[in-house]
Formats: sequence, C-alpha cells, structure tokens
Amino acid sequence: MNVLAIPLQTLLLLALSPLVSGCIKNWKAKLQNRRGPRPWQVYFDIAKFLRKDMVISEHASWIFSFAPYVVFLTALLTGLMVPMINTPAPLSLFGGVLAVVGLLALGRFFLALGGLDPASAFGGMGSSREMTISAIAEPAMMLAIFTVAITAGSTDLSQIALSTQSATGRLLNPAHVLAFAALFIVLLAETGRIPIDNPATHLELTMIHEAMLLEYSGRYLAFMEWGASIKQLVLMTLLLNVFFPVGLAGPGAGPTALGLSLLAFLAKLLVLSAAVVVVETCNAKMRLFRVPDLLSAAFVLATLALLSSFLFH
Amino acid sequence: MLLLTPILIVPVLAGLLCLVVRPPRVMATLGVLAFSATLGLGIALVHQMLARGVVTEWNGFLSADALSAFMVLLISVVSLATSLYAGRYFQRDLAAGAATPGRIREFFVLTPLFGAGMFLVVLANNLGVMWAAVEGTALASVLLVALYNRRNSLEAAWKYVILGSMGLALALMGTVFVYAAACKNNPDSLPSFNWSYLMSVASQLDPHLVKLAFVFAFVGYGTKAGLAPMHTWLPDAHSEAPSPTSAMLSGVSLKIALYALLRFHILATACVGSEFSRYFLLGFGLFSMLLAPPFILVQRNLKRMLAYSSLEHIGLICTGIALNTPITIFGALLHMGYHALTKPVLFFAAGNIHQTFHSLEFRVIGPGVVKVLPVTVLLMGVAALAAIGLPPFGLFLSELTVISGGLAAHQTTVSVLILLALLASFCGILQQLTRILLGARKPGDHLSDSRPMDGVPAMAMLLGGLLLFSVWLPAPLLDLLHQAAAIIGGAP
Amino acid sequence: MNPPASTDLSAQVVTLMAALMLVVQLLMIAQRMLLTNIRLFAIQSLLLAAIAAVLAYHYNASHVYVVAVLTIIGKVIFLPWLLNRLVRRMQIHEEIEPMLNAPTSMLLCGGLTLLGYVVARPFTSLARVGNNTLGIALTLLLTGFFLMINRRKALTQVLALLTVENGVMLAAVALTTYGMPLVVELGIFFDVLVAVMVLGILVYRIRENFASMDTSKLNQLKG
Repeated sequence: MNVLAIPLQTLLLLALSPLVSGCIKNWKAKLQNRRGPRPWQVYFDIAKFLRKDMVISEHASWIFSFAPYVVFLTALLTGLMVPMINTPAPLSLFGGVLAVVGLLALGRFFLALGGLDPASAFGGMGSSREMTISAIAEPAMMLAIFTVAITAGSTDLSQIALSTQSATGRLLNPAHVLAFAALFIVLLAETGRIPIDNPATHLELTMIHEAMLLEYSGRYLAFMEWGASIKQLVLMTLLLNVFFPVGLAGPGAGPTALGLSLLAFLAKLLVLSAAVVVVETCNAKMRLFRVPDLLSAAFVLATLALLSSFLFH
Repeated sequence: MLLLTPILIVPVLAGLLCLVVRPPRVMATLGVLAFSATLGLGIALVHQMLARGVVTEWNGFLSADALSAFMVLLISVVSLATSLYAGRYFQRDLAAGAATPGRIREFFVLTPLFGAGMFLVVLANNLGVMWAAVEGTALASVLLVALYNRRNSLEAAWKYVILGSMGLALALMGTVFVYAAACKNNPDSLPSFNWSYLMSVASQLDPHLVKLAFVFAFVGYGTKAGLAPMHTWLPDAHSEAPSPTSAMLSGVSLKIALYALLRFHILATACVGSEFSRYFLLGFGLFSMLLAPPFILVQRNLKRMLAYSSLEHIGLICTGIALNTPITIFGALLHMGYHALTKPVLFFAAGNIHQTFHSLEFRVIGPGVVKVLPVTVLLMGVAALAAIGLPPFGLFLSELTVISGGLAAHQTTVSVLILLALLASFCGILQQLTRILLGARKPGDHLSDSRPMDGVPAMAMLLGGLLLFSVWLPAPLLDLLHQAAAIIGGAP
Repeated sequence: MNPPASTDLSAQVVTLMAALMLVVQLLMIAQRMLLTNIRLFAIQSLLLAAIAAVLAYHYNASHVYVVAVLTIIGKVIFLPWLLNRLVRRMQIHEEIEPMLNAPTSMLLCGGLTLLGYVVARPFTSLARVGNNTLGIALTLLLTGFFLMINRRKALTQVLALLTVENGVMLAAVALTTYGMPLVVELGIFFDVLVAVMVLGILVYRIRENFASMDTSKLNQLKG
C-alpha cells in the first residue's frame, strides 16, 4: 500500500494544485464583479509554458537553470510528507515537521538565488523583499507548528494529525486556535497573497514573488509556477489536516474510507480557499514597511499559542 | 434616628438644587447650609457612636465606626469653609470675566456632589461601593480641575484623570482579589462584600490573595492619595484648579483615598499580621516626605509649592501609621485633622493673591504682598507657621507625637529621617514665603484691584478652629481619636 | 444555586473566548485607525459578555446574566457609539506614530503576557470554570497600561483604560464564585459610563484648545 501511495499522492498534488490556484483566481474575479479566467486555465498556461522557447540572460549561471527544479522538487517532497487523504503520509523523513520547514526553506533559498542570478534589478529587489518577509514568517511558522507538535508529543505530521483527531476537545484549545491564526497569516505570506504581496501585478513598487520570476520563461517558468502552486496546496493541506483532521482516514483504511476522506479534504480545501479569497478581496496590499507589523503579529500569536499550550494543558 | 442617610442626601440635594437656582449667591448659600447641616449631623453621629458603638443603617450597607465619624467631621468642616469662601471668590471672578455663569453653576453643582461622594466613601461598608464612590469623587473633581478651560487646566485635568483612572483600575483589581479570597473561604454561597464581615473572617482568608490584593489596592489608592512616586498629577491638579477646589482636594480628597487605603491595611493586618502592609506604608511615606522638600525649594508657583507641602504631610501621616504604635497612629490622626484645618487657609489666601495679582508666579507677585493684602497675609502667615510645624499650633503637637512615638519604639532611623524631612520643608516654605510676603514692593508697582477683606470669614473660621483645638481637645473628640487609632492599630 | 452542568465544554469555550480577548487586545496595539480600535474594543467587550453568559448558564446564577446584559448595553453598544460620535465630531481618524513601532510593541506585549501568566500561576487553582483566565486578565491589565503609555492620542488612551477595565472584570468573573454582588457590578458599570463621558468632554475640550488630540503637546506643567 505504501509503495502505491507515493505516486498516487504525487499525482494528486500535481493535478490538484493548478486547479486550486485557478479557482482562487476565478472566485476573486467573481467577487470583484468580473468574469475572470476559467478555473482550469492554469493547466493550459503550464502546458503553454512547457512548449515555449526559453530566453536566458547572458549573465545567468547554472543556478538560474537549477533553481526551478529545486523549487519544484522541494515542494513535491514536502507534499509527500503531509498527510492528505490518509495517515501516515507516504514519505516520512527524519524529523517530520523539521524536514518540512527545512525543505520549504531550501526552495525559497533557491527561488531567491534564481531571482538574483540574472543580474536584473527587479529580480534582486524581489529576492531581498522575499528574504525580509521570510525572516519573520519562518519563525512564526515554526513556532506555530511546534506548538501543535508539543501538544501531540511528536514531530511527525501524521502522528500530530492522528492525535488531534483522537482528542476532539483539542479543537477549541486556545493554543490550537492561536496557532491556526498565526499559520493562516504565514500562509498568506508564503504564497504571496494580498495583503502581503499582489500575485497579479508586475509593477516594480508592488511585486515580490513575481519579481523573482520575471526573468524566467518557457520550461523553467512552468516549473516555477507549478512549484509555487504545489507549495500553496501543501501549506493549505498542512493547515487543514493538522488542525482539523476531520474525516482523515486512518492507517490501513479501505477504499470507501479513502473516498470519504478525499471528499472531506476537497470540502475543507474549498472552505479555506474561499477564506483566502475573501481576505484577499477585503484587504488592500500593505506597504512593504508595514508587512513586518503583520508578520510580527503572527509571530506573537504563535508565541502565545506556545505559551498557552504549556499553561493551559 | 437616621443619621448616615441624611449626611449623604443633604449635599446631593444641594448640588441638584443648584442646577435650577439662578443667582450665584443663593447657590453659595445652599452649599454653606448643606455642609453646616452635615457638620451638625456629624457631631450628632460622634455622640451616638461614642454612646452605642458602630452605627449602621440599611442592614449594614452604611456603617460608621470611629474612623469614619472622624472623617465625616473633617469633610464637613473643610467643605463648609470652601463653600463660605467660594461665594465671594466666584463673585469676583465673574466681575473680572475670568469665569462664566455656566462655569460657576458647574462649580456649585459639582462641589456638593463631590462632598457627597466623599461621605459615601467613608460611610459605605461594602468595599465595592467604596471603590465606586472614590471613582465618583475623582470624576467630579476632574471636571472641577478643568473648570477654567485654559490650556494648563486641561493638561492638569488630563494628567489627573488618566493617572487617577489607572490607579483606580488597579484598586478595583485589588478589591476583586479581596472578594475572591472571601469567595474561596465561602464557596457555597455569595459572601458579603461588607468590610465588617471581611474583618470578622479575616483570619481565615487566603494570605496570598490578601497580600496580592493589598499590593494592588496600595498602588491604586496610593496614586489617588498622592504618595510618591505616583504623585506626579498632584502639583498640576492642585495648582490649576480654582482655589476653593484646591482647598478641598488638598484638605480632604487626599485623605479620603488614604482612608480607603487604610481599610485595606487594616484588613491585611488582620489577615497576615502587620509586617507586610506597614512596610509599604513606611517606604512610600518616607519617600514622599523626602521627595517633597527639594521640589518646594525650586518652586516658582505658589499653589504648586503648597501642593508639594501636602505631599509631605500625607507622607508623614502614612509614616505615622506605618510605625504602628498607638502613640504614632494617634499622632498621625491628629495630623490629619490639623492639616485639614490648615491647608485650606493657605489655598484661600493663594486664591486671594491670584485674583489680585492675576498670577501665581513668585516673580510676578513679587516681594511685599503684605503691603497690598495685609489681612490676607496675616492669616496666611499664621497658617503657614502652623503648617510648617511651629508651636503652639496642633501640627507641632502631632509631629512631635509621631517622632517621639517612633523613638520610643526604637525606630530611630525612621524618626531621624522624618525630622530631617520636616526640617527641610520648614526651611523651604519659610524661605519662599518670606521672600514674597514680606519686604517692600518693587517701585513702579500699582495695583488697584486689591480687596483685603475677601475670604476672611472662611479663613478665620478655620484658623480659629485650629487654634482652639490645638490647645483644647474636647473629651468626646479625644475619645473618638483614640478609638479610631485603635481600629487602625488592629483592635476589633 | 443548582449544581453545575457539564464542565468540559463550558470550560473550553470560556478559555477560548478569553484567549480571543487577548488576541483582540494585541490587534488593538498593532492597529492605528481609531475607528477600528473602537470596533475592536466592542468585540472584546462582547467576548467578555459571552463569557459571563456562559458562566451564568454553567452555574445557573441568574444575576450574572444581568452582568452580561449590562456589558452588552454599555460596553458593546453605548460606549462605542459615544466614542465613534466623538471621533467623527473631531475629524481625527488615525493615530500618530507611537513611541515604539508595531513589531517592537508586539514583542514587548508577548513579554508582558508571560509576566501576567507567571504572576497568576500561584492562583490558578482558584479559578472555577475557565482555568488560567486570571493570567489573561492580568495580561490585559499590563498590555492596557502599555497601550496607554505608548500612544499619544487622547482617545486611544481612553480606549486603553477601558480595556484595563475589561481585564479587571474578566478577573472578577474568573475568580469569584458567582461574580460580584449586583450592587457592586451596577456601581462599577455606571462609574465606567460616567468616566467615559467625562473623558469624552475633556478630550473634546483638549481638541478645541490645542487643535489636536496629541497628548505630547500637553507638556507645559513641569517640575
């Protein structure tokens, strides 16, 4: 069963992630009274990029070519370590949660390098902004995840999901709620959503993630975009299945249980995407100098969550 | 016969009547009548209390023991004097255009309400109601401080209200903790919040909670009482308020907050012994006494200097109580009484000076005020000599009592420190006042606006009372003070 | 008073709402728009009323329902309306740059939270339903004071004072058996109301006299 799980989950990740991105774009447009692109437009976009020719800056080095694959693969690996349909997750490397955070950091590192490498001004600016944001977002994410890990008594994500499932009283636990709030803000930061970054802009003043991707084209751009949407799906799955593992199938579950779990997962994903869309539509993008304010709020929320987990038992 | 309820109701009625009455003279008379009535009722209360013990009404909601009765007398006397003085004071302000009729009405409505609030503080048995009454007096006095609507008045009022409210929030926390201790002791039903009940179960209350409650209440009520270092609102508020209000603030309002603090002190002493709470009182009291003289010496504003002097006196009262022997506590209570008689006179005189010279700055008032306002300066001089502790005035007696009591209890360091602080402020005030009051006027200085006989009745009344009680304490009063001292000292 | 119903759910809900009160307080510290701050205060008071209502239901103590209703009428509806009116009359909508910027303030408040919990530790056994809400109450007190010191606009200082009051009421609700006697609650309620009205009058006068709500301009009286 385990051997089958890896390609199955990989397939799910690859197939579902562009759909999630597309849906978010579509719903955002609908909420703003526009028609918006079709939800499956992202598939066509990725296919188009894969077909097209690449134009590479003459200043770029091997890092420029290496980065898209690193971003894509780290996102995929991380996705395999998060329980999506059933526990345990197909892959469980040393340290569970630590490995997840480390892989995501590796991906972001190469993304930033890839932005710097072609020596374009926009790319460098995007990379420095991204690093500023991640400097505060990452500790917040780690604290929030560690909080749940401590209450569950293990750093393995599958274990955490199982233990939360078994003690439903935990759902209302302040530590849980605060950690969820902190991670939600970090989700917005990591996936480059309003109010931290505008994913639809290419203006110098306002772009962060897009700036790092500006020099990429063709196949590399496809992998970068795909990797970004996989990372988004992975973080959403983390948020959902670790904090609300309702309907998550246990180890050795039959096909009906798996089917129900898939449905539950899709339903939860729908709700979370809707929440992201509402947050994006209701807020304006913050000035870059104000982003640390929001992220330090997330950090303090995560700290409070950690404190609460010790003091509220 | 109901005594406590009329004491509360009469000032409230007077205040509310002033809303509809038109001429300022009638409003002033209403105030005087109200407080004369409360004074009479207070004396009757003392007699009844000495005859029959603690007086309670409304099923223990209002209660007056010796300490409360003493405070009732003080409040009545000072408020009466203020009302006597305020009539002429505001008449002059109105004529000079410094105050509008609306503002004057505001004063005469708020002042009796202020007084009524203070009465409620000392007569309420329920600690929560006591807190609410202290907050009520704070709010009334804030509007009084801001009466003149000048920039400085607003700044003083803002500082006062913010610091006061912060302090009272802490005091409320302390009150909640005390009630929590009572609840812990009595988990099945709602325990009474009455002070008398709490005292009866004091030995069974959780000591940690009571200690925590005392700390919060101390910082909270201490802010309102003007103990250093929470006193920073004091010079501003007392100097920017109109002089009648300053007299009431310095004369009784600080002591009311101190009264609330003392109730917590007595409760904490009954629960955990006196060692815990009296060190707080001692430390902060001494700090206040030692902090005041340097500020007195550098002052350039008359009323600010008087406010710092109040700081010193409050510090002395606290220290006297903290020394915790019957003699020193008795001395502290005496000091409370004599100070309440003296300080308002000084503020009334300062009010006269302010209205004559249109400023309180020393360099504007200049030397030789005695040439312009001879009667005022005479009365002010007498009051000042009393305030700095010269015999034969009562303050000398009370200070001596505290110091000698301290020495007798082998608290030599504390007594020496008290003496030094008193000496320093003695020199400071004497120097400042002789500089402006005595001497010859600067050449080219003509003032046509001096009204030497203003405010004399009020000042004379207080000074007369001071002189009288300095040399003769009637037996009931002495008894009352001894009983009050016993209550503070921890006797049941 | 009847014996309490199921403990677990009410305790959880109360603890959760107390934690949310703290989160709202932190948001207030990071926020600069005055109208939003007033709204946040209304939310915090609503949470407090909800906690009182849950405890009233849990202990079948009807007079605590009165407290909840009073809180809603006073602190959720009336006071925010009053403060909103004041803000609109004075046409000042945003706070000026505080002494400590938002991230530093947040970190400091994290530290104050820790301090609040540490001080409340020895007393947590006393809390009835809703363990450890005393820690949150003390934290609300400390962070409210911090907010008062950090901000310069007079109206924000008033809001800070009100959040301190909320903290004290939370402590009262958490520690005492069935809340405090009704007469005390009423007294506190009316006092807070009158206090805000007096403060509102003062703020308005300050605005008229100084042409600004910036309390750092109130610096004439020194020494």
